Amino acid sequence: MDEINQVEILIVEDNPSDAEIALRAFKKNKLTNKILVVEDGEEALDYLFCKGQYATNNKVSRPKIILLDLKLPKINGLEVLKEIKSHPETKIIPVIVLTSSKEESDIIESYQLGVNSYIVKPVDFEKFVEAVRDLGFYWLLLNQLPRL
Amino acid sequence: MSTNKDNLQFRIITLALLMVAHLIAFSSPDTLVAHNYSISYSTFDTILIGSEPDYPPYCIVDEDGQPDGFSIELFMAAAKAAGLQVKIKIGIWEVIKNELADGKIDALPLVGRTPEREEIFGFTLPYLKLHGAVFVRKDTKDIHSLRDLTEKKLIIMKGDNADEYARRMNLSEDIINTNTFEEAFQMLANGEGDAVITQRVMGLRLLENMENNTIKPLDINLPDFRQDFCFAVKKGNQELLNQLNEGLSVVIANDTYQHIYFKWFGPAIKAELSTEDIVRVALFIFFPLVIIMVVLWVLVLRKEVKRRTRRLRNEITNHKNTWHELTLKQEKLAASEDQIRLLLDSTAEGIYGIDNKGDCTLINKSAIELLGYENDSEIIGKNMHILIHHTKADGSRYPIDDCAIYNSFIAGKRTHVDTEVLWRKDGSSFPVEYYSYPIQQDEQVVGAVITFWDISDKKRTEKELLKLTEELELTVEKRTAELNEKVLKLDKSQQAMLYMVEDLNRITAELKNERRKLELSNKELEAFTYSVSHDLRAPMRAINGFSNFLLEDYADKLDQEGRRYLDTIKKNAIKMDKLITDLLSLSRVTKADLVYTTVDMQQMAKRAFEDMATTNEKQEFIFEVKNLPSIKGDATLLTQVWQNLVGNALKYCSKASVKNVEITAKDAKDEIVYKINDSGAGFNEKYKDKLFGMFQRLHRDNEFEGTGVGLAIVKRIITRHGGRVWAEGEVGQGARFYFALPKQL
Repeated sequence: MDEINQVEILIVEDNPSDAEIALRAFKKNKLTNKILVVEDGEEALDYLFCKGQYATNNKVSRPKIILLDLKLPKINGLEVLKEIKSHPETKIIPVIVLTSSKEESDIIESYQLGVNSYIVKPVDFEKFVEAVRDLGFYWLLLNQLPRL
Repeated sequence: MSTNKDNLQFRIITLALLMVAHLIAFSSPDTLVAHNYSISYSTFDTILIGSEPDYPPYCIVDEDGQPDGFSIELFMAAAKAAGLQVKIKIGIWEVIKNELADGKIDALPLVGRTPEREEIFGFTLPYLKLHGAVFVRKDTKDIHSLRDLTEKKLIIMKGDNADEYARRMNLSEDIINTNTFEEAFQMLANGEGDAVITQRVMGLRLLENMENNTIKPLDINLPDFRQDFCFAVKKGNQELLNQLNEGLSVVIANDTYQHIYFKWFGPAIKAELSTEDIVRVALFIFFPLVIIMVVLWVLVLRKEVKRRTRRLRNEITNHKNTWHELTLKQEKLAASEDQIRLLLDSTAEGIYGIDNKGDCTLINKSAIELLGYENDSEIIGKNMHILIHHTKADGSRYPIDDCAIYNSFIAGKRTHVDTEVLWRKDGSSFPVEYYSYPIQQDEQVVGAVITFWDISDKKRTEKELLKLTEELELTVEKRTAELNEKVLKLDKSQQAMLYMVEDLNRITAELKNERRKLELSNKELEAFTYSVSHDLRAPMRAINGFSNFLLEDYADKLDQEGRRYLDTIKKNAIKMDKLITDLLSLSRVTKADLVYTTVDMQQMAKRAFEDMATTNEKQEFIFEVKNLPSIKGDATLLTQVWQNLVGNALKYCSKASVKNVEITAKDAKDEIVYKINDSGAGFNEKYKDKLFGMFQRLHRDNEFEGTGVGLAIVKRIITRHGGRVWAEGEVGQGARFYFALPKQL
């Protein structure tokens, strides 16, 4: 359980290929921090708020960043985002939407719900690596979160 | 000649004394004057006058054939006093009278003044008054008054006062005209007529000359044949008239007149009283006494002459005044007559007058014209009912006893009629409206004046109106029927409308249903594109990503060819992604609602370059944007346009040595034309229609990569804004893309 508590990067992604690509991109950028991949919105919220299979956790998890896909089974990404940003405990966690959708409506709604960044997953892996490098560099190394 | 009898006594004595005076060769200044009248030629004006051969004792010729007589002598005296020379030609009265009227001679010495002659001659003051008389054969028993002449045959010199008088007074129907009175008396004596009318003194003198004693004058008074004799000139020759008047006044005033009068009329009177007796008494009984008296008498005479001269002068003045007043009155009368005539002739209504027999007495121009005549002489004197009113409008005879005009004016009443017709000269008729007014004189109806006008137009208009009214009634009836029919039809169509409304309601319901379905399928479509954009991409990412992993992790186990294959796989995956992106854009362009705002095109074009150009390109390119006007449009879609066009320009310049993109705009009336000019590869103009087609490409992929969707998107966006898009270019010479957007939505 310690391991879980030490999660620094939470990736919410139902597609294993995408998840693997993301992990590899992090790895390529030497961001080997503790990364947890959950496969749907429900699991993501269970993890964050210690419910379901994560009910044994006694404390709300606070990863350093959350990478959130929008198209998810059970509870979709925007709903997850809404939950996160409406709870004081999780509100300050930077959430980066990482999705295939370039839909204007998705982008607008995400920002309205308080997303910190919005990244379209590039098909070109090299560009993906670049994108991950940029966001990791900023959110993990430069961005100072208040200590709670 | 009223003075004749008054002065008889005086004259007898005077004549007697004058004779004595002659016998003793006593010459008075007066007698000398008498011998001075002869024609002499000097520097004086010369006038030509005419005289008659036998109108004794006024105008005659002497034994030598020279003109003589009282009037001649008096005229010569007056002419001399007025400073005129005179030549005399002899002619019969009718001829010389006409010659004066024609102006061939200047004056006549003896002309009786009559209304008829005043029309053509100018008259001096009268110097002689003569009375007319009726001469008959001594055996005539049945003529006692003028009335008795009616059935008789009268003989009168043509054109003489007497002739004019007889005709004016309508003395008889039967008048024979002769050239001279001598001829007239001869005819009377021969029994070729019943009476001669002429001036009494002249008649007696003429009979004496003719030594005729079978003819005598009757004691019938001819009140209207008391003639004033004057000198006459042609009417209008006022100058000569004035001179003669002056001369005449002078000779009357200086007693020359008196002298000439004695010369010509003395013997005639003496003859009546037996001249020889008087001479005898004068010579043998009263001679001594007379001698004594002569001296006294001359004195008395002179006094008397002076007195008479004074009186005559007064008379002349009176005469002159009277004459002047008369002239004035006459002029006024003529003027007012002219005015009345003018008034009558300038009236559009026809006006005619009739006497109490119904004969026309006057008629105006309009009436003559309306009745189709040329002049009034065709109408005057004719019976108007018989001439123009003889037949009724229906063609039946119109007896004069029924005539509305005749009956009313005889009864002294006025009448108004508008239902009759009048007949023209040519036998045609016209409907007429007329008023008839009786003319009354001394409470007696003497005629009537009829005012009339042609009412053909009025009648025709009435007829037409009647016809129109009938037609109108017919039309109204027809229209009413049509209207009824239409009302029926309307009722029917109202029913049909109700059915139609029901149908419409049904169709509306169906349409609503369809729309709901459409909305539903639109939503489905949206869900579809959404999932395409997510799900279709994931495999591409996997293909590309895992190819990459293979290349990285197992590079040593792959030969060159194996690595190339993997590269190809990667590239195609990327291309597939690009295609999906473009397709999504296109679908978005098609279905999105346009949100109009004012778009800063200058800013947007620059931004597109910033977004699309790589760092290298930003250094290599000369990119210019020149004053692009803002315009109303959808900001998101127009951004897409700029991105696609600028992206295109960048792409096709990539292989060119000069990398230049210039963006300008032109204000063209209703629209703004934006132009993107690049120095790139250009294109062949014959394919320009394909440029904006979906999936159409003019370049091979290994020259310039592309999906063939970008310009199709541009065209669709511009078209949705109501604008136009086109391009010009040449291979190797760059391309110019234009799009025009309307200024007003």
